[in-house]
Amino acid sequence: MRSRDEKTDRPTQASTSFEIGKRELDARTSVVSVAGELDLVSAPQLKWTLVDAFEEGASQVVLDLSQTTFMDSTALGVLVGVQRNLEDGERFAIVCAQAVVLRIFEISGMDGAFSIFATLEEALAGERADTARAI
Amino acid sequence: MARESSERGRRVVRARAGARLLLAGVAVAICAVSLAFVSAATAKREHPRASGVPQAGAPAAPETTTSSSAPSQPSTPASQSGDASGATRPAAREHAHRHDDGGGRSKGEPAQSPGASSESATPARPKPSSEHSATGSAAQTSQAEPAREQGPGHKHEREREREHERGHHKDGSGGEPKHPREGGRHGKGHSREGGASGEEPGTATGSGSGSGTAGSGASSSAEGGTGPGASLTAPAIAAPQPLPAPAAVAPAAPAAIATNATLPGVPVTHAPVGRRHGARATHRARRTSTGRRGASAGVAERLASAPLALSSAAATAPLALSSAAATAPTHARRAERSREDSRGVQAPATSPLVRTITKIVNVVPVALRWVIAALLALALALAARSWLAALRARRLEHQRTQLLADVGLLQAALLPAVPARLGPVGTSVAYQPATGPGAGGDFYDVFALEDGQIAVIVGDVSGHGRQALPYTALVRFTLRAYLEAGLSPRDALQTAGAVLDRQLGGAFATVVVATYQPRERLLVYACAGHPPPLVLGSNMRAGSLLPVTVCGAPPIGVGMRTGTRQSTISIPGRAQICFHTDGVTEARVDSQASVHARLFGAERLAEALADLGLGATAQELLARVAERAETRPDDMAACLLSIDGGSEQPMVLVDELELDRAQARGERTERFLLACGVPGEEIAEVTRSAYAAAGPASTVVLELRRTGAAPEIALRRDHLAYLHARRRRAEAEVGAR
Repeated sequence: MRSRDEKTDRPTQASTSFEIGKRELDARTSVVSVAGELDLVSAPQLKWTLVDAFEEGASQVVLDLSQTTFMDSTALGVLVGVQRNLEDGERFAIVCAQAVVLRIFEISGMDGAFSIFATLEEALAGERADTARAI
Repeated sequence: MARESSERGRRVVRARAGARLLLAGVAVAICAVSLAFVSAATAKREHPRASGVPQAGAPAAPETTTSSSAPSQPSTPASQSGDASGATRPAAREHAHRHDDGGGRSKGEPAQSPGASSESATPARPKPSSEHSATGSAAQTSQAEPAREQGPGHKHEREREREHERGHHKDGSGGEPKHPREGGRHGKGHSREGGASGEEPGTATGSGSGSGTAGSGASSSAEGGTGPGASLTAPAIAAPQPLPAPAAVAPAAPAAIATNATLPGVPVTHAPVGRRHGARATHRARRTSTGRRGASAGVAERLASAPLALSSAAATAPLALSSAAATAPTHARRAERSREDSRGVQAPATSPLVRTITKIVNVVPVALRWVIAALLALALALAARSWLAALRARRLEHQRTQLLADVGLLQAALLPAVPARLGPVGTSVAYQPATGPGAGGDFYDVFALEDGQIAVIVGDVSGHGRQALPYTALVRFTLRAYLEAGLSPRDALQTAGAVLDRQLGGAFATVVVATYQPRERLLVYACAGHPPPLVLGSNMRAGSLLPVTVCGAPPIGVGMRTGTRQSTISIPGRAQICFHTDGVTEARVDSQASVHARLFGAERLAEALADLGLGATAQELLARVAERAETRPDDMAACLLSIDGGSEQPMVLVDELELDRAQARGERTERFLLACGVPGEEIAEVTRSAYAAAGPASTVVLELRRTGAAPEIALRRDHLAYLHARRRRAEAEVGAR
């Protein structure tokens, strides 16, 4: 999925590319992966993809940001919104190994708000572990 | 951007207004033309009325003078008659009074004369004497004709005398070819007898009348009566209309003919009787004739024709003429007035333009006139509409300027002007909107606190655009209030976070709040999801101070406790402190490069700052950023504090982290301690202590003094949910020491 950066004066040069994919591991778990940049342009699509995932019945949604190269405050706002609107029994985990994105999480102070894991496996396993630790 | 669009809008508005004005002008022009049409049409409609005024006057004249003039009144063109009368007027007026006198006498004479007809005329005397009696003449003239027919005259001698006079004049009058001959005989004969009033050169008519009176003694006397009567009454006719004068002449002629028929041989005998009378008649005739001469040829012809018809009867014509002529003068004023009136009405018709338009209007079919009327109405409606539209446009323009001024005020409320210097600190702020959509949301404030500290607030409200505006104001003023109240940056953020969490409508705000204490040269700042400030020392090339960003506090409005981190930095020497929003570091430098290279980043920002030097302003910095960046997806806001001093480098004194029980044992806390230089083996103990210090429902503050190689770690309990907690904390601190 390619999108043109509309907020730029020179679309050819400033176009950002991003790709949002969704796969269902099982009836309760969906994995949404984002490749490219998460910014003002791609954030809304990310939001609706995540909302759809939860509305389709998944109680666990893992956002894989392994291929994400950049994330701005708008995308962060989307993640915050999703996190805050979680219902009982629903979980939202983030997989992120990119230093740039991790730093963004860190600076924003939101790294403590999300369950962030280095790999997808850890995230899927960590859900349970995290749940256990929270108790 | 906003200015450009406003300029464009203004231009558009102006262009529209101009178009409307043009339309209005065209409409008005159409209106004018159609109005001209309509007026022309109405003028045309009125024209008959206008020309009818004189005509109506003419009928009125006959009514009064009926018997004398009206019946046989020739249908001479109004204009001609009018002109003629007008031409004669001056002369006629002069003679009018004399004439009247003469008339009075002449009447008196007929009365003395034995003629029965004169008797019949006598009743008319009083009327003649009263100048304005209009009725008299009618009867008199009618009576006069019979009198002439009766033939036998009694005032032969007088008439003769007059005939003599006329005879003199007759010679001089070449105007009437035939008449002179006939009248000439008598005239010559009598002219010897008396030259009473022969001052003026005789006229044809005069001679004619003389012979006429001579021919009919009784008739002449009667005419003497009628003459004056006519002269007096005629005014009524002449006054309204100049026509009567010629008209009066014409009728007289037929009458004269009749007389002539009956009295072929009388002239000589009658001459004496008609002397005086004749003389006066001559006067009249002269006057009339002179008047007539100046007048139209048609009238002259008529005058001439009268004498032509009969020599004897010719006298009556002149008489009638004279009377008519006399009447005109007497009421010259009235006549003039009426003429003026008539002219006033007729004036439009005489104008060539109006005449042309009238012609055109005459040609235009009625249906088309309706169409024109409809077009006129439409044009008027359009003109009114365009006028209203122009009014509205002007009003809107006014409102627009007012609104722009208001917007400027609002923007100033969010992005206030900052003095160039606050105490010993040079301050500058700058804001640059994004190159695309998503502008708005950035805010800043720099102000001096009561105790001499300088406070700085720089933030960014997510959910860009206009929705962010009210929240930016809310966050900025809330934070400012807490800072003014004396809270530390962290306390202010924490309190504001607790207060504002439910008021941002789903948006969240990242903020950095700082205070600078000039005396102690201490910078204290706290971030809530916001990039920390860049602090560059005197050796600016060394790069900025690298603060610990681990365990950063979350933004305001995400439902999490914020204001949990605070750093205190000592700035002993020269320094440049740069607060900024993420729009600056997220500006795109090179879209072809890798992600790291693409973002402007904090490093490039520090470089730019070092390039600009110590005296740089925020405007210069943002200009440099904008210069180097290809695109700026977000707004950029920056605030610079320039601090003078020695070459000592700035250093972090204290890092604070507030933890609750769960966080105290969390992985983040460990990372934070590591980043702050706490030895690994101490970390577990510290976290355990923190966990213990933080009660189940309370928090603990980890305070790391980083003056030495290893930071001093202090733990203190903190309750910042309420303002009074400050005092409690202060007491606790005192107690701890």
